[in-house]
Amino acid sequence: MSINMVKVGVVSCSGEDCLGGTISRLATRKMLDEIRPDTTVTICLPLFLAGGVEERGFAEKFPTISVDGCSKACAKRATEKYSGKVSAAIDVSDFIGKEVAEAEALSIRNLTDEHSAMVEKVVSEITVKFDEVLRAAQRDLVAKGLAMVGSGPSGGCGCGCGTK
Amino acid sequence: MSERIKVIPCSGMGKVYGLVARESALKVVQELCPQESSTVCLAYIVTGDQEAKELIEGQKCITLDGCPAMCAAKNAELAGGVVTEKVRVIDSFRKHKGAKPGTATDLTEEGWLVVDEIAGEIAEKVKLLSKEG
Repeated sequence: MSINMVKVGVVSCSGEDCLGGTISRLATRKMLDEIRPDTTVTICLPLFLAGGVEERGFAEKFPTISVDGCSKACAKRATEKYSGKVSAAIDVSDFIGKEVAEAEALSIRNLTDEHSAMVEKVVSEITVKFDEVLRAAQRDLVAKGLAMVGSGPSGGCGCGCGTK
Repeated sequence: MSERIKVIPCSGMGKVYGLVARESALKVVQELCPQESSTVCLAYIVTGDQEAKELIEGQKCITLDGCPAMCAAKNAELAGGVVTEKVRVIDSFRKHKGAKPGTATDLTEEGWLVVDEIAGEIAEKVKLLSKEG
């Protein structure tokens, strides 16, 4: 295995009831689409309950960062309850403010420049944590003799659907 | 406890159908039936918190799912919701063969058309269920 094949899971709450959920979703999608497309994987949080053993093994298979829209921390708590301990946790409300995060959820049809700036702020924080977690995972694999330096593909959805 | 019909999408992260489900639900609860419907964070339901369960226990729910895993329907039922309609986004796309709806990040015009269609159908169901009481 190449260390370039190590991937990090980013699990968003994608909450439907508040703006923070919308921002968490958009920030996670940006990691998958643009920022770290080859090393990011994700999974739908509800699959931990609706899916099977493979889905529940997600946080064991990938070091995982939870991205929550509010302080209920559903993505972090559900991941740790059903799958495994997260390597890092992001609470969107720490970066955009509790009151803003708990405002009404937003359709992406109504996204403004202000919302895009919120997404960017959260993406920056995820990226910092992501790179730390990725480096630690790579070091760990090399130390265990399970990986070597080389090249390899690709990130995407962790449910096995093959979608980025 | 609120008697509003709960409209709960899967909001799936990996496929465009999850985004279509999410946007359809938001359109129903925010624009088409704001008095008769509301949504609940599916992620909160997944935690299994008692407070989360109380939000939908015994409540009429319409779920929208983007893939055959049917996460929204299964999780709502597990939490004690009365799921009266299980909408499968993929079924709506059968009427739009060849449509290119976009990605899990953003929708095309065709994607938004399907969102509006699904939302309209769900709004009708919400109104019927509200009348039944």
